[in-house]
Amino acid sequence: MNFQDIIFNLQKYWAGKGCLIKQPLDLEKGAGTFNPDTFLRCLGPEPWKVAYVEPSRRPTDGRYGENPFRSQFYYQFQVLLKPSPDDVIDLYLGSLESLGIDIPGHDIRFVEDDWASPTIGAAGLGWEVWADGMEITQFTYFQQMGGLALKPVSAEITYGLERIAMYLQDKESFWELAWNDSIAYKDIHLESEKQWSKYNFEIADINMLLDLFDKFEKEFNSTIKNGLVFVACEYVLKCSHVFNLLDAREAISVAQRTSYIARVRKQAKALCQAYIDQREELGFPLLKKTGN
Amino acid sequence: MEKDLVLEIGTEELPPSCIREGVAGLKVLLEKNIKSNRIDFGGVSVFHSPRRITAYIKDLGLLQRSEEKVVTGPPKNISIGPDGKPNQAALGFAKSLGIDASDLEEIEIKGKGTYLGKKIVRKGKKTTEVLPGILKDTILSVTFKKQMYWGDYGTRFIRPIRWLLVLFGNEIIEFDIENVSSGRFTYGHRTLNKSPIKIEDAKDYFRILEKEGNAIVDPRKRSDMIRTQIKRIEEEEWKGKSRSFVDGKLLEEVVDLVEMPNVLVGEFPPDFLYIPADILMEAIQYHQKYFPVLDNRGKVTTDFLIVQNGRSDNGDIKKGNERVLKARLSDAAFFYEQDKKHDFSHWEKKLEGVIFYFGLGNMKDKQDRLKKISLYIAGKLEGNIKTPGSTVKEDLEKASTMCKCDLVTNLVVEFPELQGIVGREYSKERGHSDSVANAVFEHYLPRFAGDDLPGTDTGRILSLADKIDTITGMFMVGNIPSGSEDPFALRRKASGIVRSMLEGNYDIDLKDLIIFNMKLYSDSFKLKKSTGEDNVEKIFDFIIARQRFLLEGQNKRMDILDAVLGSGVRSITDIDMRFKAIGEFILKNDIKSIVWPMSRSQNIIIKKKFTHIDEGLFIEEHEKKLFKSLKDVLDGKDALILNKDYPELLREMERFGKVIDVFFDKVLVMDKDPLVKANRINILKEVVDYYLNMADFSKLILEGNQIKQ
Repeated sequence: MNFQDIIFNLQKYWAGKGCLIKQPLDLEKGAGTFNPDTFLRCLGPEPWKVAYVEPSRRPTDGRYGENPFRSQFYYQFQVLLKPSPDDVIDLYLGSLESLGIDIPGHDIRFVEDDWASPTIGAAGLGWEVWADGMEITQFTYFQQMGGLALKPVSAEITYGLERIAMYLQDKESFWELAWNDSIAYKDIHLESEKQWSKYNFEIADINMLLDLFDKFEKEFNSTIKNGLVFVACEYVLKCSHVFNLLDAREAISVAQRTSYIARVRKQAKALCQAYIDQREELGFPLLKKTGN
Repeated sequence: MEKDLVLEIGTEELPPSCIREGVAGLKVLLEKNIKSNRIDFGGVSVFHSPRRITAYIKDLGLLQRSEEKVVTGPPKNISIGPDGKPNQAALGFAKSLGIDASDLEEIEIKGKGTYLGKKIVRKGKKTTEVLPGILKDTILSVTFKKQMYWGDYGTRFIRPIRWLLVLFGNEIIEFDIENVSSGRFTYGHRTLNKSPIKIEDAKDYFRILEKEGNAIVDPRKRSDMIRTQIKRIEEEEWKGKSRSFVDGKLLEEVVDLVEMPNVLVGEFPPDFLYIPADILMEAIQYHQKYFPVLDNRGKVTTDFLIVQNGRSDNGDIKKGNERVLKARLSDAAFFYEQDKKHDFSHWEKKLEGVIFYFGLGNMKDKQDRLKKISLYIAGKLEGNIKTPGSTVKEDLEKASTMCKCDLVTNLVVEFPELQGIVGREYSKERGHSDSVANAVFEHYLPRFAGDDLPGTDTGRILSLADKIDTITGMFMVGNIPSGSEDPFALRRKASGIVRSMLEGNYDIDLKDLIIFNMKLYSDSFKLKKSTGEDNVEKIFDFIIARQRFLLEGQNKRMDILDAVLGSGVRSITDIDMRFKAIGEFILKNDIKSIVWPMSRSQNIIIKKKFTHIDEGLFIEEHEKKLFKSLKDVLDGKDALILNKDYPELLREMERFGKVIDVFFDKVLVMDKDPLVKANRINILKEVVDYYLNMADFSKLILEGNQIKQ
């Protein structure tokens, strides 16, 4: 199954299960969790079911295109189900079947793996899902976001699209994956992976980044003060990405690191609280929509 | 009459990290709650597999036992009038029990007199009536280290509850937890068997679950199956030429990840065999949870064992796992190659960027301190350790400048479990001796409860330095463990110190060591918290508390330890030797011959002022004799203490005790002449001080003529 077909199939499958099929956020971020469709929508009492592809960046994971499955840019397929349905694992296994995986013939395993992101005050319990030993999905019941307890609880299903494609196409490297019948993953991403790796590790202007972090943080403060929650959210993400770049450049010491994380967490906390307050003021409009 | 009960809590995949502890807790709670509900039972067994927690109660009674209780009311003399009729007190009491006053009985209470009362019999209910409440309460009150919410429900449990099977014999015990109602259906292995499975009777549960559900809920059975299958592979496929390396802890985790274990043999390309064996084995075990395979000479082979959750493999599963391990090994090899480009000086520099703790500098600072502390310890032990002191010192100089370096290597960043192992291998590869390399590894020991202790003097000294330095630093910034809070595992470190000191027989003044360590900190950092005497005491007490804990675990007498500590002794081994000597003395001799003379003397000198003994003031023969004996024992004690000949010191104290006894018999301390009296008190003060050289014997608990065991 081609890379693009995996996406089509998952979109179709989850649309059939009542999910809104959305498009990625047009900003750099480390994971689909940072997209406000997860980051914010998991807060408060309103139900929400959504699925989307999320191109993600983790500068420190760059390997100049030399590692078979580690890269600073990759795709996630993200599903958020709120509240988590009782049959959520069966729904997930159904999605693997929709990709043509013969489940009884393989070893599908739910291996304990709790998830926490101190940067955004998030924590959850769950598993990484193994298919014949390969980690293909991260499955998490969110318990906390922005330091706030969550009720109802959302189930987050994050597919590593490249991993699943390797598994389905029987390939040993991201780069060899078939995107469609004629174009390979490497044709699209290998050159840029090399360039970005070089940039992230060697070129990025540290002073500019340090400066940007302060400026973005300032902008966050002014937007949140003005009640512009969705704008503020993007500045949290920008700060977080700049921090990741600084990390890749080894520009921050361990002590500073902790203080940068604390600064982003402080923003995330304020943002989450502001979002809930705003939804409450609006009367939690999605509570009234049936069928969501 | 009794029947068996099976309770199966169907869950989503359970976390191996805390399931065993939780299930053990369930057993305890069930036993307690059934007992307190007065139902007889044969025994409770608990089991777990990834999708279920099961409790099986054998021979559970069909009825609660009836309960007889006597309720006592007012005394008879105030509640029955002279006319023999019950008055207001009796009527009120009867009313509160809902009975007629004429039904009240007279009850004799020994030593108190006659009271009104009533024997009340609570008839036992049917077990089936009370079970729903008992079981539901029990399930909801089990605590797991990790608990979670799910959906829109308010219940917390280790993982979401998806079904409940509860059968008492063939009868369903009905109750709900959130949206789940109990019934007689279970589910089997998640992918081998999807439809619900009906269980008719509790007795059939295990058999049908295994046969129709392909799930084995007993972890011991799964463990045995894995071992048996591995044995078969070793005998038939490898014909005894290779053997698998099964680590007990990993096996336990693997057992908790499968409901139906099936062992497969995979293979990885030989190109990776050049990676040092320990690193290679860790990469195989860690994360992917495979078992490495060794050949007859103990070398790692290209085979590895996969434990699949299922019954068979058409080849895909093996191939998939092989591909994953190959990728992991390429990662390990990549990092290993990256690290090869560097030397310890490079990593030492990088340690400056790794903070040890806020206000306590970085890991390079810590390494520098470790060098000083370990050389200090080695200096104190000179002549006291088997290995030549000069060799140990040279080795320590080298090992201490490398021991933390592997923290910043690529390999350890990627495989944190390799900490220590990478340090050892890399120092060997860079030409250091085995003893230096081993010390680099050993300084982390013990890493967890029950882990090995360092086996060499160099490793032991470096390990002591590392642990004392962390504890001292944390106390200096106020990070003192309290209750169950011990985020830096300082208690484990302290108990490592105690065990290593004892194992090495290191006689070291612990307070001096702490003071030395504190000075290293205060010379480099500005610390607001106390750097003074009271902190030395706190740290000392904290470490000695682990020694106490160790002895308590062996059911030893704590009053002996208190007595020994009363001497002010400051070395863990010395404390131990004195503890043992007194313990043995008590077994063979009468300790009162020491305790009484000392305590009598102590009682007299309490709150008194002391000057010097003036021989010119002696009047009585027996005070002269006492003084002479005192001089003798004081002359003899230093050599005995230096040689730690505590048995002989105790015998001497016993002999000396007889002299004191005679003194008290014949001489009145409280003489009319204040000068004579003061002089006698001065002698007794020296007597007490003499005993305190060994222990404060007044702390020993004597009960009547017997010493309390």
